[in-house]
Amino acid sequence: MKKKHVSPWVAVGVVLVTVFAVLCLLPLIYMVAVSFTDSETLYIKLKDLRPSLYNYWYAIVKRDFGTALKNSIIVVVGSCLLVNVASSMAAYGFEKKPVPGKEALFQGYLATMMIPGQVILIPMFVMINRAGLTNTYSALILPMVGAFGIFLMRQFMVAVPNELLEAAEIDGCGEMRRFTTIVIPLVQPALITLTIFTFNAAWNNFLWPLIINTRSEMRVLPVAMSTLASNSTTNYGMVMAGATLTFLFPFILYIFLQRQFVEGIALGGVKG
Amino acid sequence: MPTAVSLKKGKSPRTRRQALIGAAYIAPSFILMMIFNVTPIFLSAFYSFTKYNMTAAPVWIGLDNYARLFNNKVLTESLSNTVRYVLITVPSQTVLSLLIAVFIAEHMKNRYGSFLRSVIFIPVIVSLIASATVWNIMYQPKGGLINQFLEFLGAKPVNFLGKKSSALPSVAAVAIWKASGYYMVIYYAGVMNVPSDVREAAIVDGASSVQRFWHITLPILKPITYMIVTLGIIGSFQVFDLVYKMTGGGPGRSTYTVAYVIYAFAFQDKNYGYASAVAICLLIVILMIHLIQSLFFKEKDA
Repeated sequence: MKKKHVSPWVAVGVVLVTVFAVLCLLPLIYMVAVSFTDSETLYIKLKDLRPSLYNYWYAIVKRDFGTALKNSIIVVVGSCLLVNVASSMAAYGFEKKPVPGKEALFQGYLATMMIPGQVILIPMFVMINRAGLTNTYSALILPMVGAFGIFLMRQFMVAVPNELLEAAEIDGCGEMRRFTTIVIPLVQPALITLTIFTFNAAWNNFLWPLIINTRSEMRVLPVAMSTLASNSTTNYGMVMAGATLTFLFPFILYIFLQRQFVEGIALGGVKG
Repeated sequence: MPTAVSLKKGKSPRTRRQALIGAAYIAPSFILMMIFNVTPIFLSAFYSFTKYNMTAAPVWIGLDNYARLFNNKVLTESLSNTVRYVLITVPSQTVLSLLIAVFIAEHMKNRYGSFLRSVIFIPVIVSLIASATVWNIMYQPKGGLINQFLEFLGAKPVNFLGKKSSALPSVAAVAIWKASGYYMVIYYAGVMNVPSDVREAAIVDGASSVQRFWHITLPILKPITYMIVTLGIIGSFQVFDLVYKMTGGGPGRSTYTVAYVIYAFAFQDKNYGYASAVAICLLIVILMIHLIQSLFFKEKDA
């Protein structure tokens, strides 16, 4: 290989992309930095920084951020379990079973992905109120099942060979066991992608929990974050501690499962 | 079709049994989909023809809600704000993500390039409410990071979110910050799919990198660009969280958007019928955008 010489334009480009990356990160660095100060103004000097978790403690214990954290974790875990189980079951039924009218139903499901959230918000609010499910975890978890999960899982079900399922059936492997011991392990990568997609959707969901779970002990993180910021306009350190906590969990997942994470989010937006 | 058993007229007992088992697998999500995804669309359409405040049953008023849409100043303002917001966010995030993706793919196919891609993606994973909170503090007129920088440069501080002229672009800037990394990833995957012999042939023919960009990369990325622009328009059209948290629609009504007025009409004014009519109009707009995009794609297939 000949050694390539770098043109000055490419060097300028590298610098510009680097500057852009720094600008992407800057608000988050600022967020973490302010969360470690106890200044009442924003004119923060380096000497105001201290390695104290006081702001975090204050937000979690004194401002009920801990409750919101717990609620968010329950909702996220519940949503991921429900979406994974319901979607992979449905995808298996759609792909491998001779259910009459299934293709028409599947097309109908796909059409629902074009519907903006605001359109179904009011009727959902009315129904959940009528059912007496306001201020429950179910109100946040049950609506998480959607067409995207079924669509994603079905694409992976195609690759599960029918011969394998038939052979297992001949060997006397029952219906449930075929699904749990043959199908599920084969579609595991898709389950991870779907889990990350659902995690993000549930963790960041704001408008629906804002209107449906109004009691303070049922608030999830984004709603608590919003209230915290409105009620303590000058306690910047604590507000930024709250924002950092909200960011921390997805960030840790991103560090460890970067490829799946990007996939989960990118596929979710593109939706096929 | 790779289904396990094909559908035929004369169904054997085995096929019928398999169909029943399949239906059982589909049932749990079917029930939830019907309750939370399908029924609400029809209910929304029904509410849009009624006067409804949830304390009494909906009263049928025909097209009254729709008739009152066109001379509602709040609504026309929010529509024009939303269009302005789309016009700010979509071109900037599309061009920015395209240039960065192409540049990294062409000149930075190394560990540093992939590190920068990972960094640029990070804002995508920050929740909108946390983003809004952080940027609110950065926009503070007294001592916010951006104004401290302006003071450092000797400029006067700007009340970004408090002035009618700057509030909407300031909210849009946060959206661009959050979305560019997302579209960059999609574009990057697209550039990587450009056949390398096409690119090499162009280099042999003496095409400059600018010429290659205009005549090879850009035409190949056209379907992705259609998709990204469509996704961007639809996403920006529904902006809510950022507006709610950063400006609450203000100052005045300068950052009222369509999604925000639906929320305000329904959950502040308890005017569910009227809000539903606005929501149905939003649905029609979104479906039209989808339709236009699919027409573009058809044209390409032919």
